[in-house]
Amino acid sequence: MSTLQLAPAELPGALLGRSAPHRGLLRRLTGRSGPVLDRSLPSTAMFAVAGVLLADGVLPVVDGELVLAGLATALVASLTSRRLSVQTGEIDRLQGQRTALLAQVQTRADELDVATRMLAARAQTMTSVIDAVTEQSIIGTDVDGVIRVWNPGAEKMLGLPRPDVVRKRSIVEFHLPEELEAAAEGHGSATGLEALVHAAAEHGSDVRDWTYVAADGEPRTVSVAVTPRTDDRGVHAGWNFVGTDMTEARATERMKDQFVSLISHELRTPLTSILGYLELVLEDEEQPLTDEQRQYLTTVERNADRLLRLVGDLLFTAQVDAGRFTLQPQDVDLASVVRAAEETVRVTAAGAGVEVVVEVPDEGLVVPGDAVRLGQACDNLVSNAVKFTPAGGRVTLSLRAAWQAPDGTVCADERPGARPVAQLAVRDTGIGIPTGEQGKLFTRFFRASTAQRNAVPGVGLGLAITKAITTAHDGVLDVESAEGEGTTFTLTLPRAGA
Amino acid sequence: MDEAVPALVAVAIPDSAPLRVLVADDEDDIRGLVCLAVRKAGGTVVAEVSDGSAALDAARDQAPDLAVLDVSMPGATGLEVCAALRADPRTAGIRILLLSAGASLDDVARGLAAGADAYLAKPFQVAGLVHQVQSLTARQPA
Repeated sequence: MSTLQLAPAELPGALLGRSAPHRGLLRRLTGRSGPVLDRSLPSTAMFAVAGVLLADGVLPVVDGELVLAGLATALVASLTSRRLSVQTGEIDRLQGQRTALLAQVQTRADELDVATRMLAARAQTMTSVIDAVTEQSIIGTDVDGVIRVWNPGAEKMLGLPRPDVVRKRSIVEFHLPEELEAAAEGHGSATGLEALVHAAAEHGSDVRDWTYVAADGEPRTVSVAVTPRTDDRGVHAGWNFVGTDMTEARATERMKDQFVSLISHELRTPLTSILGYLELVLEDEEQPLTDEQRQYLTTVERNADRLLRLVGDLLFTAQVDAGRFTLQPQDVDLASVVRAAEETVRVTAAGAGVEVVVEVPDEGLVVPGDAVRLGQACDNLVSNAVKFTPAGGRVTLSLRAAWQAPDGTVCADERPGARPVAQLAVRDTGIGIPTGEQGKLFTRFFRASTAQRNAVPGVGLGLAITKAITTAHDGVLDVESAEGEGTTFTLTLPRAGA
Repeated sequence: MDEAVPALVAVAIPDSAPLRVLVADDEDDIRGLVCLAVRKAGGTVVAEVSDGSAALDAARDQAPDLAVLDVSMPGATGLEVCAALRADPRTAGIRILLLSAGASLDDVARGLAAGADAYLAKPFQVAGLVHQVQSLTARQPA
């Protein structure tokens, strides 16, 4: 093995030795403070140290001479070590990147998992809600009407399970064909589906009765709410049909209608006899009645008239319910109507010790309307006021021309945007209506607690009828009342030329 | 009240008022009341019947000046009798007054559309019925 003798002066660096005295000896030998490797170091350690020193640009010395082979080995070891070091660093860096990427992937995977579970939970919630609806049909279709959603309510109503329907049947297959054809012809729709959805397409939703035909061929009257359906991007994707079976309800309504008509007929017929023969007896000049007989028969007549009014009221409310309430419009002088109402109630009011005051414009006040119905509404308000006012009280009927702003406020003078109205206030000094009950006053058969406590007769139809008549005339009926002080009903109707 | 009707039927018919009236109503009491009103109006009741088929037969047999028909009758309704009378040249000229418990505008419209000359809702005032009979028969040629 050859060696290389190096001058001590050329030796830079540190001094390495097995022990401090050994390193001191070496330093003296070399006279330098640079690196000196002790040959007696284990060769592997020495070469490793030499490689590191070489890599750092420091030439190591072994006791002033360097064994070339050792140096070559050291150089190779140094280069290998350096390459390894670089590679190790790279590996470490890549390892770090990999770890970071893995962490990111894990994070994304966790997020995705959460999102997936949330979506699944939401879908499950929606499904369970839709599946919980067993009394209403929920049917979703695509834009062509092919059924995509079919809930248990639809199964129950139409008698087909979901697998038999979804993606296999169209919504129009469950409609009565004649009805659909008539509807399509009615507004020029090209298809049955168009007839079904045109109103929902135009207005955003549509609710009306349709006739579904169940699997067993049984027709069902169904109130169907139709709405457009969109996909997750908000693009129109089809239609929703939510149906409530009204077959029994509509049949009940028809029965009620028929019942009221029957009762009306059956009551009117005997009343015709009672009132007709009473009239003959009371007006028989050839056989005049005694005063006592006349009083008795007049009582019979008055009560028969009352029964007749009740029958009329019941029939009228049935007509309103059935949408058969029609008006015969003409010009009606409300002042005359008010005076007539005062005349009608005059005898009763006098008997009850109630003063009735009429304040109407001398020149009259004309509104477009049905004279008979407006008279009925006015009579109801005035007779109510008298009924609910104790002896010594006063009922005031005030009629005036006024102007009603779009927000509903009424003023005496004309204002831009306001419509001309006639306003009738029927004010009494009666027992009043508790504040909490005023909202229910126009409900059919509702009777205020004050009316019941004071045993004021009535069935609770008059105000409901008056409200219906007012609404049919595009008017408004308001009430203000204080218990124990009195009540004011205000009837506001559009004036002629409004 | 049922017993009173035959007695009332026996009221003498003035020769000077040969207004011949057919009265058809399935309610005996009301039929009696109508007959009274007819007589008060100066007419004579040529037939009293309680169903629609009989009313049609009586109208063809008696050729009355006026037929007072209830709308709700067995056999044939007053509306059906009315339409049949109008469709038959022998009876097309008979004046027809319909009586009905139906008081709505639709009821009246249906009655007039069937060919009635007048329509009176029950319950009616006897005085009002008398007036109707008089005004309808007054249009008859002497």
